[in-house]
Amino acid sequence: MNVLQQTINGLIIGHAFALVAVGWTLLLGSARLVNFGHGQMYMVGAFVAWWVMRTTGLPYLLAVPCAVLAGAALGALMQKLMLRLTLQQNLVSLMIATLGFGQLLEGAAGFAWGPRPQTLASPLQAIELRWDDVWLTAQDLLLVVATIAVFAALHLVLKRTVFGSAVRMVAEDPKLTQLGGLDVARVYMGIFAFEGAAVAFAACLVAPRTPILTSMGFEQVIMTFVVVVLGGIGSVGGSYAAGLGLGLFTAFFGALVSPAYTTAAVFVVLIAVMVLRPGELASAGGFAR
Amino acid sequence: MRFLWPALAVLGFFSPRLLGGGALVYGTLTVIAIFAVMAYGLDIILSDLGEVSLAHTAFFAAGAYAASLLAVDHDWGAWATLGGAIVVSAVLALALGLLTLRTREFAFSLVTYAASVVCAVVAANWSALGGSDGVVGVPPLDLSVGAVKLVAGTNVQLWPYAYGLLLLTMFLVSRFRRSRLGQAALMVHMNPRLAVMSGLDPQRVRLLVFLLSAPISAVAGWLYAYQRAYVGPDLFDTYFLVLMLTAVILVGRRILVAPALGTALLVGQTSFASLGSYGDKVLLGVVLLTILCLFPGGLASIRPRRPRPDRAALRTMERS
Repeated sequence: MNVLQQTINGLIIGHAFALVAVGWTLLLGSARLVNFGHGQMYMVGAFVAWWVMRTTGLPYLLAVPCAVLAGAALGALMQKLMLRLTLQQNLVSLMIATLGFGQLLEGAAGFAWGPRPQTLASPLQAIELRWDDVWLTAQDLLLVVATIAVFAALHLVLKRTVFGSAVRMVAEDPKLTQLGGLDVARVYMGIFAFEGAAVAFAACLVAPRTPILTSMGFEQVIMTFVVVVLGGIGSVGGSYAAGLGLGLFTAFFGALVSPAYTTAAVFVVLIAVMVLRPGELASAGGFAR
Repeated sequence: MRFLWPALAVLGFFSPRLLGGGALVYGTLTVIAIFAVMAYGLDIILSDLGEVSLAHTAFFAAGAYAASLLAVDHDWGAWATLGGAIVVSAVLALALGLLTLRTREFAFSLVTYAASVVCAVVAANWSALGGSDGVVGVPPLDLSVGAVKLVAGTNVQLWPYAYGLLLLTMFLVSRFRRSRLGQAALMVHMNPRLAVMSGLDPQRVRLLVFLLSAPISAVAGWLYAYQRAYVGPDLFDTYFLVLMLTAVILVGRRILVAPALGTALLVGQTSFASLGSYGDKVLLGVVLLTILCLFPGGLASIRPRRPRPDRAALRTMERS
């Protein structure tokens, strides 16, 4: 086994996990929303980029902003539908509602784009960078740089801006924030739109690695779930670290033990962490650390 | 009122004939009865304990896998596989119940979801469980006792068993709701502190309810294995999870017939009024979102509003 190559693979996969997870991390931390429609939102992001490229002939790098805008709109729609449940903090109903939202997106995407697998072609995927026996593509490099940029930007927005402190207030206590005179619905709008935009952006950068299907659903982003939870609910820095750790674990477990059981191994670790330290995960105390 | 429920139960038995009695009708109603039983397992967790368990697909699949593996590989009879399905699901539920003792709300849902993912990966990859090919060639259901021959190979023959199982499950759930454990579960759900002050141990109550609910879903899986004659990793599909959850919340929580009615509406639609696989998904999503966002109490909460009291009449009454 080439240890350096596996480490690089792990870091790239880890950045992909973290980038796909970033919107959900914010959503879970601030609105305590377990979004089972996350996978379908990822799928829609990838397909919008593919569809824009096919119908308008725009290059990949211009199709990405279109997909991000569509993702933000989808997030906004989600906020409109689920605002009442979010304000009530009816977590049980919210979770089931996101499953319904995912079904709706999957069915609608099937109507729009059919069942056939497609390829989101990025010109950067063909550019290979090599040193000795270690290699990666320019797409991988873009993914890593973009992920670091998104996490840094989110960290700064949460820590240094008025909107960031509003988000942190909503995470602590939405009712008190409302009493304090802030428009909680608008803060939620920003959070949901960020979730939609971020997952669409992630889809544009990650999806060129594999064929895309309208039925790929939650299974495609299942590792995200682990990143979000293991990182400490809503912790931005934590989910970045969890993404990287998980990427390295996936690469080495796949190479040394068995690729087929990687998901199961990761979820066993997740169960162990959740069972041993449920208190920290159940509260929003780790938010925006 | 005394004869209403028995009359409805008898009417339900003849419902396939009342609907025309074709193969499609029998097939659909048999599947509805089986899936309704699966949903009742989740119902007592969701409606009575107030938690969302995402592991019930795993219990359902565990029942189906136990039945098919024991019947195909070890030639066990249907009664024995029934016992096997119950034991396997109870062991799984005990392990998961002990693990999730201290988790609540979405932490509970996340752990149960993680558990079902682990089960799905193991089922899809472990050759002893059939791997990705699953288990084929499950024999017809044979519940014969002594000289009494009770064999069911077709949906028409399976219907009485599926329907009987559904009635038995409904009876069990209604008894549970009136039992001490059922009352305790509701108290732990509605007011955990009061429950503790009343001398209840919430963790024990939650574990017991979990242990009761898992075999219900597993028995549904057991019958499904015989109905379909094939068991595979597709049993872990999100479809079953969404179907179960929607069936439970569609009509209204803590209403005895609600999960059966909800399942009938959902499965009936895909059989008799299908909009194609995409259309069905869109419809299911719209139904879920509409119910949860607009009518959180379920269809049963949609009642015509009472007319406002006539103010002129009130004034007249006050004067008099």
